[in-house]
Amino acid sequence: MRGYILGVESTAHTFSVSVVSSDGRILSNAKSVYKPPEGSGIHPFEASQSHLAAAPGVLAEAVDRSGVPLGDLSAISYAMGPGLGPCLRVGAVVARTLAASLGVPLVPVNHAVGHIELGCLLTGAKDPVVLLVSGGHTMILAYSGGRWRVLGESLDLTLGQLLDQFGRHHGLASPCGRAIEEAASTSTSYLRLPYAVKGNDVSFSGLLTASKLLLDGGRSFSEVSYSVQETAFAMVAEVTERALAFTGKKEVMVVGGVAANRRLSGMMSEMAERHGASVAMPPIEYSGDCGAQIAWTGWLAYKSDIKVPIEDSQVLQSWRLDRVDIPWRS
Amino acid sequence: MTASTYHGAAETIHGLLLYKGAEADVVRGEWQGLDAVYKIRKPLKYRLPVIDEAIRRQRTVREAEMIRSAKDAGVPSPFLYCVDVPTSTLVMEFVRGERVKDLVERLSQEKMADTFFEFGQGAARLHAAGMMHGDLTTANLVRRDGTLVFIDFGLSIRTTRLEDHAVDLRLIKETLFGAHAEAAEPALEALLRGYTSVAGPGRSRAVQKQLHSIERRGRYARII
Repeated sequence: MRGYILGVESTAHTFSVSVVSSDGRILSNAKSVYKPPEGSGIHPFEASQSHLAAAPGVLAEAVDRSGVPLGDLSAISYAMGPGLGPCLRVGAVVARTLAASLGVPLVPVNHAVGHIELGCLLTGAKDPVVLLVSGGHTMILAYSGGRWRVLGESLDLTLGQLLDQFGRHHGLASPCGRAIEEAASTSTSYLRLPYAVKGNDVSFSGLLTASKLLLDGGRSFSEVSYSVQETAFAMVAEVTERALAFTGKKEVMVVGGVAANRRLSGMMSEMAERHGASVAMPPIEYSGDCGAQIAWTGWLAYKSDIKVPIEDSQVLQSWRLDRVDIPWRS
Repeated sequence: MTASTYHGAAETIHGLLLYKGAEADVVRGEWQGLDAVYKIRKPLKYRLPVIDEAIRRQRTVREAEMIRSAKDAGVPSPFLYCVDVPTSTLVMEFVRGERVKDLVERLSQEKMADTFFEFGQGAARLHAAGMMHGDLTTANLVRRDGTLVFIDFGLSIRTTRLEDHAVDLRLIKETLFGAHAEAAEPALEALLRGYTSVAGPGRSRAVQKQLHSIERRGRYARII
């Protein structure tokens, strides 16, 4: 089957549209990212207003850049969830309108599956243990029996939330990952923080409280940033290592917004080396939220005959990754 | 398996690397003429030494204590020969048998139910004795003749908290659905029957309820 598909992403701070071809070429990947005021996080309604304002321009840019006439699109895909309700609805409206006016199928995509499938496309990973780390997810996954299975996850905050809430306590605006990484790179002074690995799961809430207290107690942002990164990333690397040792797989792939952090990728490489496994990381441009993850996964789903009638095309704020059937991998 | 040389437990051992785990290398060798395994927690380069050393030391000492406590609770575990804290090495009996992880595929339905029933009983005995295993995967259970031997107490702690006992069951469930998806439902059912037979219906219900509550804390879990 050959053709083109257009995908719409709008689960959180990013509104993005992308066109990809059936052979996995990303022809465009236009985006607009909502920036909250300093010291605060994403306000769902404010973000949705930002997406609404940006949508026509982003859509036009994605279509123009791709060089694909609208009439050549085989299907439209959209991120049905999980995510923030008001934001998801903007993407759903854009996708429904396009599908209805072009008379092509509408394909629902799980945002998290999108991160994984785009990662596999871009890195060539075949059957990896996946570490998905973002503002919405901290999960260790492996494919088995028709679904991505969760081998470990955070029991409370995600890694992205930990970094954002810590950064906001210091007065930054979300996403704070890059500022924390830069601050951390200027320190080598480690302050002890709680290291919470339970079985194959991690917990970050105690670590967040302790790191805020260190800031309040006058410790510098750079040394606390360094300590937070070293502790949290080591926890995540340990549980990923456990999943790797347990499954015996030979590839590790890191996806999601936090995958852009070089200290995390460095730790993952050192970890994987011990097991003779390779580490795959998609380019930074595609590790965070983007339309391409929805377009490419939409194509895989479309090929497997997954589509939704427009009248049933709801959004799902809660839609766990391990509840999604993945027929194209079996 | 590769032949390796390790410096541990105050002597150089020559042995076969049996398993390169996340936490430790497990090497088969000899100790005072006995068939032994050396569990060596080697430094993990990706962790800061200050974090790494504390974790390795703490887990080595605790594991030795927990292996003994398991026996007190009537749960078969390996015999411990030597604890070498400076190199974070445990030397213990080599458990001759097959890991349940490798067995599952070949077991008949009846044998599988028996195995998981026994697994559940063992877990409940550990809990009743105020312990949490911390790493109850099918890779950490060895079938030796008639008995199921529990190994790898590296993440075990002393605890009577409902939450911790439920975390133990949660890991079993995650592993079953993650690695043995086809056999997961009946295996889990047999395991819970075994668990209830030791813990009693009241405690078993409470732990399972807590397990459900932990699962609902997972991101994007459906709250029913």
